[in-house]
Amino acid sequence: MRSQRTAWLLLAPTLLILFVFGVVPFIYVLVTSFLHWNAFAADPTPRFAGVDNYRQLVFDDQFLYAVWITLRFAFFAVVSEIVLGYLLARLMMRDFPFKGFFRTIHALPLMVAPIAVGATWRLLTVPGLGPLPYLLEHFFGIDYRIGSYPTQAFVTTVIMDIWHWTPLVTLTLLAALSSLPREPFEQAQIDGASPFQIFWHITLPYLRPAILATVFIRMMDALRTVDEIWMLTGGGPAAATRYIGLYIWRVVFPKTDYGYGAAISLITLYLTIVLCWLLYVSLVARKQKKGSF
Amino acid sequence: MRRPRRLVTFLFWCGASFVTLFPIYWMFVISAKSRADLFGRPSLIIDSLNWANYAATLSDPTFQLYMLNSIIVATCNSLLVTVLALLATYALSRFPMAGKENIFFWTITNRMAPPAVFLLPLFLLYTQAFTIGDWKLYDTRIGLILLYCVFNLPFAIWILRGIIDAIPKELDEAAMVDGASLWQILTRVILPVARPGFAVTAILTWVFAWNEYLFAATLTSVHARTITTGLAEFVTVTGTNWGLMAATAMLTLIPAVVFLGLVQRHIVAGLTFGAVKE
Amino acid sequence: MQHLLARTALTAVTMMAVTSFAHADFWSDAAKPYAGVTIRGVSESTPPSNYVKDVLAPAFTEATGIKVEFEATSWDQMYDKAIKDMEANTGIYDFVYIEQDIIYSYLARDFLVDITKALADDPSLKAPNFDIANFTSFIDYFKDPTKSNDLFGVPMEAFIKVYLYRKDLFEDPEIKAAFKEKTGHDLAPATTHEEYSEIAEFFTQWGKDKGIELWGTTVQAHSGHPSSWYEYVESVAPTFGVYNWGINADDNYGASVANGGEMNGPEALAALEWYLGNLAIAPPESTQSTWDEVAATFAAGRAAQGLVYGENSAWIATDPAKSNVVGKVGVALPPLSEGVLAEVEGGTGYIGYYDGGAFGIPHSSKNKEAALLFLEYIGQPEVQADWAVAGARITHTATYDDPKVKEQDAKVDGYYTLMREKGPLFAGAPAYPFHAQVREAAAPYFYEAIVGQISAQEALDKMAEATEAELTKLGYRK
Repeated sequence: MRSQRTAWLLLAPTLLILFVFGVVPFIYVLVTSFLHWNAFAADPTPRFAGVDNYRQLVFDDQFLYAVWITLRFAFFAVVSEIVLGYLLARLMMRDFPFKGFFRTIHALPLMVAPIAVGATWRLLTVPGLGPLPYLLEHFFGIDYRIGSYPTQAFVTTVIMDIWHWTPLVTLTLLAALSSLPREPFEQAQIDGASPFQIFWHITLPYLRPAILATVFIRMMDALRTVDEIWMLTGGGPAAATRYIGLYIWRVVFPKTDYGYGAAISLITLYLTIVLCWLLYVSLVARKQKKGSF
Repeated sequence: MRRPRRLVTFLFWCGASFVTLFPIYWMFVISAKSRADLFGRPSLIIDSLNWANYAATLSDPTFQLYMLNSIIVATCNSLLVTVLALLATYALSRFPMAGKENIFFWTITNRMAPPAVFLLPLFLLYTQAFTIGDWKLYDTRIGLILLYCVFNLPFAIWILRGIIDAIPKELDEAAMVDGASLWQILTRVILPVARPGFAVTAILTWVFAWNEYLFAATLTSVHARTITTGLAEFVTVTGTNWGLMAATAMLTLIPAVVFLGLVQRHIVAGLTFGAVKE
Repeated sequence: MQHLLARTALTAVTMMAVTSFAHADFWSDAAKPYAGVTIRGVSESTPPSNYVKDVLAPAFTEATGIKVEFEATSWDQMYDKAIKDMEANTGIYDFVYIEQDIIYSYLARDFLVDITKALADDPSLKAPNFDIANFTSFIDYFKDPTKSNDLFGVPMEAFIKVYLYRKDLFEDPEIKAAFKEKTGHDLAPATTHEEYSEIAEFFTQWGKDKGIELWGTTVQAHSGHPSSWYEYVESVAPTFGVYNWGINADDNYGASVANGGEMNGPEALAALEWYLGNLAIAPPESTQSTWDEVAATFAAGRAAQGLVYGENSAWIATDPAKSNVVGKVGVALPPLSEGVLAEVEGGTGYIGYYDGGAFGIPHSSKNKEAALLFLEYIGQPEVQADWAVAGARITHTATYDDPKVKEQDAKVDGYYTLMREKGPLFAGAPAYPFHAQVREAAAPYFYEAIVGQISAQEALDKMAEATEAELTKLGYRK
C-alpha cells in the first residue's frame, strides 16, 4: 500500500495538468526570450538573438528601478499583512458575539475583483471626487494628490494591498490556530510558562507551515501584482508605482516586444524563486536546528 | 472578568469592520449616484438612490451569462483543485518518494511568473493545438477550469501539506489495521480532521478563480466570458463607466459572499479540538 | 442612456425595415449563400460600438440571416486579441475595430482585406447604397497609399478634439468687467496660446478669490497613463507647428533637432511649457485625469476652458444626468500659434486630432464575404443619422444635413458645424506603424516632466533620444 507506485498515481493528475498547461507554455516563453521579436518592427519575423535580451535588461534603468520598487512594495505590504493577519486571527479566536458575521465581513475585500478594487480606490483618491483627499485636507491638512506625489502614491498602493489581502492571512492562520492540539499548551501553562514563551516556543513552531505558505503566496503575488495598481495609478506618478508586473505588461501588450518581455519575465521568475528559496531554507533550517523541544 | 473583554473585542471588531467596509460602501455610492452628482462634489451621503445601473445590469442577458460562467468556472475549479490537492498532498506527506521536496517546491514555481508573456503560447495552444475538428479549447469553460489549476493547485498543495503533515500517521495506520482502503482513509480519517484546512483552501481557490482577469479575457470570447472580464469592458478609450462598473462589481460580490457564508464556518470547526489560551 | 438607446433603437429598426424593404432585394439576395453563418467581431464598449451591437447588428441579421457575435472588451485587450488573432492566423474574428492610430501598423503587416478590391472582384457583394464618396474626409485615413489608395476599413465613428469653454461664464457681466479691468481687453474665446493662458490664470484666481471650485483650464495630465502624452502630441504640439510628433520620416526618422527632427526644438519646448504652465493652474485631479476625467471635470463645472474630445462634447452640453453645465457650453477651434493656421490651410500639417475608428476584415477571417456585407450595412447612408444622435459621431457628409443632427448641433453650440467646416484642418495620427512602440518608449520621460522631476527641455531631449533608440532597434532608422 505504501508503495511508490501508489504515490505517483496519486500525484499523476496534478503533474499532468501542471505539465500541459504550465510547463509547455513555459518552454515556449523560454525559447522566445532568445529571439528578437516585435510584432511591429520593420522586420516582424522572430530572429535569433542569443542572449541579447538578457544583456539589454541589465542596462535597462526602468527595469532595474521597477525591480527595486517592487521589492520595496512587497516587503512593506507582506510584512504588514502577516503581522496584522496574525493579530486579527488571534482576536478572532476570542469569545465575542456575532463572530460568524464579523468573519464574513472581514473576508469581503478578498471577494472583490482586483480591477474593482483598483477602480474603487482610484475614485476614493481623486481630488474633487473622492472622500479621502477631502478628509485628509480637512482633518490633517495634508495635500493628498497621488497623481503628483510619488511617496503618497506608493503608500496608497501598500495600504490598498493590505486592505485587500490581509483577510487571506487571517483566514489561513485562523484555520491553523483552530487545528492546534491542546496538550502542549495546557502542559506549558501548568509548567508556568509566560504568554510570550508559549507564543515563541509552541505557537510559532506549530504555525510555521501556515505562515510559510502565506508569506510565499503573498510575496509572489505582490511581486507580480498588476490589475489593482494599473487601475489605481497606471504606474504613476512617473515611475513611482510602475512595479515589475506593470512594466512587463506594458512591454508585452502595447509595445508588442515579445522577445524582451519573455526575458524580463523569466528574470523576474528567477528572482522570485531565489527569494522564496532563501526564505524556505532559512525557515526550514531553523526548524531543523531547533529540533524537538 | 469575561464581560468587559467580550465587549472590548466586540467593539474592536466593529471598528475593524468599519475600516473594511468603507471602500465597499464607497463602491456602492459610485454605483448608486448619477454621474453628474458623483463628479459634482465629494459626498458620502446619497441623496437619492439611482438604481438605473443595477436595473440595467441585472436585466442584461450578457451579464447573466457572465455570472453563470464565473460561478461554474470558480466552483468546478475549486472542487477539482481540492480533490486533486488532497490526493497529491497525501502522497507527499505519507509516502516515501524520491525528490519529494523538490517536486513540492517546483509546484509553487508555476505560480510565480508574471502572467503577461504566457498568454501568447496559451492562446496558440488553445486555438490551434487543443482542437478536435472544429471544436477548440478556446472560449470554453473547461479551458479556464483546467488552466486555473496551474495556479490554484500549488496553492492548495502548500496550504494542505502543513495541515496533513500535522495529522499523526498513527491515525492512518490504525485505520489500515482495521482494513480501511485508501479512499476510506482519506474520507474518514484525513478529511474530518483537516476540515478547517479544506475550508480555507476551497474558499481561497474559489476566490482566485472568481477574480482572475487576464487569462479569462484572452482565452475566452463570447461564450465562456467571466464576470471579471465584463468589469474590464467598462474601461474604454472614451472613458470608464464607473457607475455601471461599480454596480456590476457589487453584484459580483453576492455569489462570492454566499459561497463564503456556506463554507466559512468550517474554518473554525476545529475550535473544540484545539484551543489557544491567552 | 438606456432608454435613449431603446427609443433610438425602435426608431432605427422601423426605419431599417422601411428602407430595407426598398433594398430588400439586395441584402437578402447577396446574403443567400451565407445565410446561417455567424460572424464574430471585437470592439470596445463605447456608445457608437454599443449602437452597432444593440441596434445595427440585429437589424443586419434580420435582413440577411447572418448572425453577428459582437465581443466588447477593454481598450488594451481589444488590440491584443485582434493582433494575436491576425498574427497567428487563427481566424477567430471576422471583423475588428481599427482605431485610427493603429491602421498603419495593421497595413504594414498586411493584416487586412482590401475592401475596394474585394468589391471589385465580386460585384454581387457590392451594395447599391454603399459608396466611398458618401464619407467625410476621415475615410482617407483608412486608405493605403501604397496600394493605389484602396480602402481597408469602413469608418464607424469620427470626432475632433475641440476647445470647450463656459459660455455662461464668458458672458457674465461681473466676470467680463473684472477681466477687462485686470487685463485691459475683452473676454472672448482664446485664439492664441497667450490669450488662453491669460484667461486660465484669471479664472483660477477668480475661483480662489470667490472660494468656489473653479479653475481656468482642464489638463489631461495623468502621470502614468499615455493619455497625457497624447494630449501633448495630438492636440498641443500641432497648434505650435510641431507635426507628426516631431519625427522627420523623410530624414531617416530623425526626432531630435540634431538629426533633422523637431521633437526637442524651440516650438516643441514652447508647446510643452504652455502645457505644463496650464497644469500649474488646473484642478488638483489633473494629474490623475485621462480623457474621461477631463470630460467629467468640465461637466462638473470645475473648469472654464478645456480641450475635450468630441464624443464627450455632446453629452456635456445636453445630458443633465451626466453634466452640470448643460446649455452652458461653447465650442471653438483650439488656440493656435502665429502662422500655423496659414500653414495648415496651405496643406502642411494639421491643427488637431481627428479621432475615430473603422471596422476592417482580417485576412485570417473565414467568413470574409459575410463580414464585407456587414461592413457595407453599417456604412449605409440610411443608418447614419440615428447613429449620430446616439453616439455623437459622424462619418457621412450627408449626415450633417439631417434634421435630427441639426437639432443636436444647436444644443452643442455648433460642434457638428465646426466639424464639417474645419474638419479637414484636423488629421489622424501620423502614418507610423511603430505608433505604440514609440509611445511606450517616449512617454515615461513625459510623465517625469509632469511630476516635475525633470525640466521641459530635458524631457524633450530624453524623449527624442528614446524615440531614436527605439526606431533604430525596430529597424526603421538606419
